[in-house]
Amino acid sequence: MSIVIGDTPRTAPPPPEPETPRRNYLNETSGFWSWALTVDHKRIGILYLVSITAFFLVGGIAAGLVRANLLTPNGAILTEDQYNKAFTAHGVVMLFLFLIPSIPAVFGNFLVPLMIGAKDLAFPRLNLASWYVFMIGAAFMVWGLLSGGIDTGWTLYPPYSSRYSHASVAPGVFGVFITGFSSIMTGLNIMVTVHKMRAPGMTWGRLPLFIWAMYATSFIQLLGTPVVAITLLLLLVERLAGVGIFDPSIGGDPVLYQHLFWFYSHPAVYIMIVPGMGVVSEVLTCFSRKNIFGYKAVAWSSVGIAVVGFLVWAHHMFVAGISYYSALLFSFLTMLVAVPSAIKVFNWVATLYRGSITFQAPMMFTLAFLVLFTVGGVTGMFLATMGTDIHLHDTYFVVAHFHFVMVGGMVLAYLAGIHFWWPKMTGRMYSDFWSKTSATVIFVGFFFTFVPQFVLGYHGMPRRYPNYPEEFQVYNVLSTAGASILGVGYLMPAVYLTLSLFFGPKASANPWSATGLEWQVPSPPTVFNFEYLPITVCGPYEYAIGVDQMGRGLPEPPGAGDDNPATRVGATLLPGPQPKETEVVG
Amino acid sequence: MLDGNRGPLPAIAERASVMADLFEPLFWYITAWTTAGFLLVCALLTWCCIAYRRKPGRISTPRILGSHRLELFWTVTPLLVFLTFYAWGVYVYDKAVHPPADAPEVYVIGKQWMWKAQYPNGQRVIIGGNPKNMTEEDRQNIGALVLPLNRPVKVTFISEDVIHDFGVPAFRQKIDVIPGRYVSTWYQPTKLGEFHVFCDQYCGAWHSLMVGKIKVVPAAEFDAFLEGKGGAQGSPNPVDGSLAHKGLQHFQRLECNTCHIPNAAIGTGRHARAPNLEGLYGRDVPIKGGITIRADDQYLRDAIVNPGKHIVEGWERAMPGNYGTQVSEEDLNALIAYIKWLRPGTQLGPNNNSVAPYGAPRQTPETNKSPGGKQ
Repeated sequence: MSIVIGDTPRTAPPPPEPETPRRNYLNETSGFWSWALTVDHKRIGILYLVSITAFFLVGGIAAGLVRANLLTPNGAILTEDQYNKAFTAHGVVMLFLFLIPSIPAVFGNFLVPLMIGAKDLAFPRLNLASWYVFMIGAAFMVWGLLSGGIDTGWTLYPPYSSRYSHASVAPGVFGVFITGFSSIMTGLNIMVTVHKMRAPGMTWGRLPLFIWAMYATSFIQLLGTPVVAITLLLLLVERLAGVGIFDPSIGGDPVLYQHLFWFYSHPAVYIMIVPGMGVVSEVLTCFSRKNIFGYKAVAWSSVGIAVVGFLVWAHHMFVAGISYYSALLFSFLTMLVAVPSAIKVFNWVATLYRGSITFQAPMMFTLAFLVLFTVGGVTGMFLATMGTDIHLHDTYFVVAHFHFVMVGGMVLAYLAGIHFWWPKMTGRMYSDFWSKTSATVIFVGFFFTFVPQFVLGYHGMPRRYPNYPEEFQVYNVLSTAGASILGVGYLMPAVYLTLSLFFGPKASANPWSATGLEWQVPSPPTVFNFEYLPITVCGPYEYAIGVDQMGRGLPEPPGAGDDNPATRVGATLLPGPQPKETEVVG
Repeated sequence: MLDGNRGPLPAIAERASVMADLFEPLFWYITAWTTAGFLLVCALLTWCCIAYRRKPGRISTPRILGSHRLELFWTVTPLLVFLTFYAWGVYVYDKAVHPPADAPEVYVIGKQWMWKAQYPNGQRVIIGGNPKNMTEEDRQNIGALVLPLNRPVKVTFISEDVIHDFGVPAFRQKIDVIPGRYVSTWYQPTKLGEFHVFCDQYCGAWHSLMVGKIKVVPAAEFDAFLEGKGGAQGSPNPVDGSLAHKGLQHFQRLECNTCHIPNAAIGTGRHARAPNLEGLYGRDVPIKGGITIRADDQYLRDAIVNPGKHIVEGWERAMPGNYGTQVSEEDLNALIAYIKWLRPGTQLGPNNNSVAPYGAPRQTPETNKSPGGKQ
């Protein structure tokens, strides 16, 4: 029997609730320029939050157009050309302007320094530059979308994109090229920060798993994004100057583009999911009052995904004209990359074992993540297996699969993160009832939207089809109905979170009784985060003992106040450290 | 759109080929494992959420950090299961991508936005596409790709413009159709009837109209169709000579035979300026630079449209590089079929019975409408 023993924390009594300082990062300075020229990682996180929320709305509207059009077999509202532009807008905006910057740029910026006990990221000006670069890239993309639209699909396969499309491909591609630099800057910043700016005692073995996930993500951003930047530049050279790189009629190779594109874009899906996994580890431990089960397994599986994720790109190309033997190899490597995700899911479930689970909104979103991400993961096996991919490739099965991972996974993790850290970011609490309702509505709507798409894909309905055979209509209508529910679910947080800014009750420093360093500073934090140098004495999830990472006791966990006072007896309810032996299972 | 409402979708999608029969057991095998895994996770989640929900008076939790033994268990078990998917998947993929050697070959050309098929005996059909986007002649020729029941047919694809994908859900088969490159797959239908063909790789405005039909007929009917009898494909079917015969005509029209002269002509005072093509197909060709290339369809195509790519050992680059702009993909298929057919002693040199070359004066001016010819 193996026994895993963590750090033995030195403990101290729970800290008094810190007095909420009059000045915090939000009201320290005011006015347009105080935001436009800020180098505060928290304000830059907020800038990203506002920007990507707007882009999520744009991408969501495009998705709504796509789904509405699919209500009838010949296109309910759009012409073929408009439909092609709508789904491309949906893909490009959601991927490059929402998912890739979502958790890394919003929570990465806001939380990484707070979680490791630093005053800011390593390169605050670079951080601000990354937001400007992002917005410039986004402006080019929006220009492309407004000046005639882009009709190539987000994958931009040549020679269609380089030669045959008459749409405004060039500004769109140039915009993606530019936003790539923003992603590199953020990744570099976070990587250097994690290496160099950890507070005393914050060893690698005590890093919150969110930091491990962000670190693995930064690794992908740094190594992968330059490749897609070069690829898109080559595409632009071919489109604008007619130099034959990918177009076979002028001496190029179209399959080469796919190799280069997926060399980035497959790891990019891990940019989109690994940070979400980090959020899940934070929320799950907090709301089950447990240590994470298998800290090292969860941490190293993030790194494993980041490394092996670079070696699986050609599984997007089993039917695209790659050699038989490379298909064999890439399918095998894809089987390997699926394992770390499975490890994480099992560890998360095991974390709940013998916990004391409460179901506030962050936990609801996280549980929804676990269910939906598992579906997304296991349906990936059909696509990693070559014999089944031959049929399922480029059908709605693929669409459903990656929406389960990207939306069911990443978007729900993002929402879990928003709900978890909202009190920290804004100093306000939101409606408990409406946030739980929203999580439920999103979960149900999501299932209704994408499960019918698995059926459609199995029966062969191709992607990117505004016209389809009549026998597919029932499932398309079901899917659109689900999407309507999903849309309502998304609108709810927009409303109650906005209302909370004005009417929400003030949040305490540590409303969830969580252990991370970010909860040891006031809500919202002051400009320089820590008024003192935080000394870390233990690992990140000592909920069982009841101490935070500085070894101080935790306040009462959420929900404890709801108890009937008559039953609130006994030492178990006392906040603060509780001596406890490490128990061994399995 | 496509003809006919086939009613609600069945639980198991329509199966109509050997590959579909190979696909289904694997698909449901993976479905069984993944559903079991999913339900296990859901059951554990539900159980934990109910059994370990916070209860008044019990918020203390045990300090459990993990278990190497469990980690090992849930690392190795999924991996082993995934490897069974892999092995079975390789078996199915291996069947799908390796056509039987003796299967007859059909050519299919994708272009924005239609599929064109050519049979070895010269039949030509438009499998489907967007009629608004076709010439009148092509519109007349819309029919179905005819395939024989229970007999393998190799299909070789190429695209004239962008990347397409020839997907046949009832056959559980799909292959990207790439410009400038031949790719092949094979079908062995097991069911009579008509089946959807979808373009599965996004190809532009009318991608969703680049759909067509496959029609599976009894083998005897297929043989009759190949001989030019019967209208199985459902469109006018003028068989004006085999593909190789059309290739011969192109060969003469393009004046290939002024340089690639047959062995028989050597010693008659004529001078060969290019390698002899008789018996070339399938041979290993020594290329300058010390490599050897098997003379297959792809090699022949490259040698015609991009002659500078590989120069045969012992020869100098002499061939004009502009054939790629003069010869359509359909004509290339015909030319290659002709070169495939050439055996030693079978090539005709230029003579008075040859088809007139492009640009040659014709008897009547109005017949001088050779497409793509040098005017």
